[in-house]
Amino acid sequence: MENSNSYSPYSSSSVDSTKPSPSESSVNLSLSLTFPSTSSQRETSQDWPPIKPRLRDTLKSLRLRLRQRGYNTALFVKVYMEGVPIGRKLDLSTFSGYKSLLENLSHMFDTSVICGTRDRKHHVLTYQDKDGDWMMVGDIPWDMFLETVRRLKITRPERC
Amino acid sequence: MDLRLPSKVLEHILSFVDSNEDRNSVSLVCKSWFETERRTRKRVIVRNCYAVTPEAVARRFPEMRSLTLKGKPHFADYNLVPDGWGGYAWPWIEAMAEKCPSLEELRLKRMVVTDECLEKIAASFKDFKVLVLTSCEGFSTDGLAAIAVACSNLRELELRECIVEDLGGDWLSYFPETLTSLVSLDFSCLDSEVKLSDLERLVSRSPNLKSLKLNRAVSLDALGSLLRLAPQLVELGTGSFSDKLDQEAVSKLSQAFSEMKELKSLSGLWDVLPEYIPLLYSVCPGLTSLNLSYATVQMPDLLELLTRCSNLQKLWVMDLIEDKGLEVVASSCKELRELRVFPSGAEGLNDTNVAMTEQGLVSVSEGCPNLESVLYFCVQFTNAAMVTIARNRPNLKCFRLCVMEPFAPDHKTQKPLDEGFKAIVERCKDLQRLSVSGLLTDKAFEYIGTHGKKLRMLSIAFAGDSDLMLHHLLSGCESLNKLEIRDCPFGDTALVANAAKLETMRSLWMSSCCVSFGACKLLSQKMPKLNVEVIDEHPLETRPDSSPVERIYIYRTLAGPRLDMPEFVWTIQKNPEIGVSHLAIK
Repeated sequence: MENSNSYSPYSSSSVDSTKPSPSESSVNLSLSLTFPSTSSQRETSQDWPPIKPRLRDTLKSLRLRLRQRGYNTALFVKVYMEGVPIGRKLDLSTFSGYKSLLENLSHMFDTSVICGTRDRKHHVLTYQDKDGDWMMVGDIPWDMFLETVRRLKITRPERC
Repeated sequence: MDLRLPSKVLEHILSFVDSNEDRNSVSLVCKSWFETERRTRKRVIVRNCYAVTPEAVARRFPEMRSLTLKGKPHFADYNLVPDGWGGYAWPWIEAMAEKCPSLEELRLKRMVVTDECLEKIAASFKDFKVLVLTSCEGFSTDGLAAIAVACSNLRELELRECIVEDLGGDWLSYFPETLTSLVSLDFSCLDSEVKLSDLERLVSRSPNLKSLKLNRAVSLDALGSLLRLAPQLVELGTGSFSDKLDQEAVSKLSQAFSEMKELKSLSGLWDVLPEYIPLLYSVCPGLTSLNLSYATVQMPDLLELLTRCSNLQKLWVMDLIEDKGLEVVASSCKELRELRVFPSGAEGLNDTNVAMTEQGLVSVSEGCPNLESVLYFCVQFTNAAMVTIARNRPNLKCFRLCVMEPFAPDHKTQKPLDEGFKAIVERCKDLQRLSVSGLLTDKAFEYIGTHGKKLRMLSIAFAGDSDLMLHHLLSGCESLNKLEIRDCPFGDTALVANAAKLETMRSLWMSSCCVSFGACKLLSQKMPKLNVEVIDEHPLETRPDSSPVERIYIYRTLAGPRLDMPEFVWTIQKNPEIGVSHLAIK
């Protein structure tokens, strides 16, 4: 197995040549697709699980529509601390807004987590949206955020 | 004694031979049979548009009336094939326009179809009747208008899950008042609203209309008036099912549904509100096909619907059905043949809120004796469940299990899912299609190679220990026709050792595996009847032989290297000077 290839999913530190244990299954699956898609309708870079784009789009807003109707559906997203390959799972439907989210994350990772621009002092929360882009948390209304968020990442304070 | 049949007699005999498989056999008997067969074949199917040139097909079958073509590899459905790879319909349409102007039917799957293509069809085939586009892209609603306005004998226009540039709903208005031949119309994948009055008039003047699939923009109110105009429909795809209607409108809609005595297939039902589910009760007993993949129906509303569908043969539903719902299916839908369960948690997240496990599928396998085709998305699975399913249903022909958590083991024993899949391939002797997932070792593939003798199509993701697995498959599965693999550590040795096998298959797809550039070159040199395509974003000219490539797509072809390859697709014909592979293959 070649190690010189930087775009092989197997070069990720969380996967080695023997089977990863189930708790290490937070492999970054988006590594499998490296091409930027030029088709405007195929905006997502998601290729797993294998469902067709139209169905995927429908399912994305399904959760939100059901929640709006009062059904108790969870909204699990994975949360990573930058530099740590193993992530945590969080049900966003249990939070009322950004404030309670940040409080909970700060507790979960035992450090103060804020919204805002990266700097040398703070852990800043970012999220990946349905287009695959990484964005600052807090820019859009909470309900809109719930519809578009796919995963969260807490960035470490920048070093010199 | 001349035993040759006069060609007129042979022609007459062949007019009873419908299946292309039989016709292919007929054409191999001798030259005169080949000639008679080719001159009388009306329906031509080309399952890989790059396996043969359009000119060769047109030349061989001059009386062609119906052409079916498939373009991109199957994994294109899941965003694994970059845009611009290929699969262009134009060269085919151009060739047929010139050589087979009597063409009446065109069915294209996973191809790039432009407005120019559609305009060419409209202008060239005077008696054009059927256009079915499945998972196609590249055209706009303007192209549809061209078809609508020109094809005066149009019977079927179906857009199944296409990606269309939607410039508005005007295209529908282009069907002339003189068009009365419509049998099937499917525009469910379009977004824009069409003019209701035009749609109503079209439906009223189409007495033969049997299948109508609306898009989401068609309101519930509009549905009522359409159903009253077409109570003879056999297939219905509704639009949005969520408008708030007053009591009178609801009872009128209920009445309209109860008038539909021929309805067999129901789909659409976008955003369906629970209070409207009872509207469907009157058609349920007649349904053989129900597609709820876009319907926001949950338990317990689903239960009421399913208990009434005693004749259901095909059910597509989301995992909102839960184990409980599948138990009801098992006891109510005894005629069930095909079940597909899609994940409502589309991101593949481990959502413990949805109470659907392997037990749901086990129930259906117990209760439905005719079950032969399964597509099941589930977070995790067990070996015991698969063993039970295999024991219950040895008649399975298609078993596609997608365990969404990659590398997930049996969640009760923590063992790999090898034994489960072993039971499936061992017991289900007629299994033709299999998708495997979850934690799998070499053993699973040894079993598949040993027992999967009728297996034609196999899909593998996130599996594997070593190259041995690929070797088992290629050397063991005698009927293997299509193999698609992603994110597995399969590589050079097995591929090169089994190169000859690849000529007996339609195609092989491997992405994010461990196939080296050198192996691709070697294969290309050894097997001239294959197109070995390397699909890689990064330039290959300076790539060392040992470095892995991102994706390969290998298919047999009579047409040689294709001329429409984009930059990111490499075949050896592009750079023959790169020369012999220096890779030492053990």
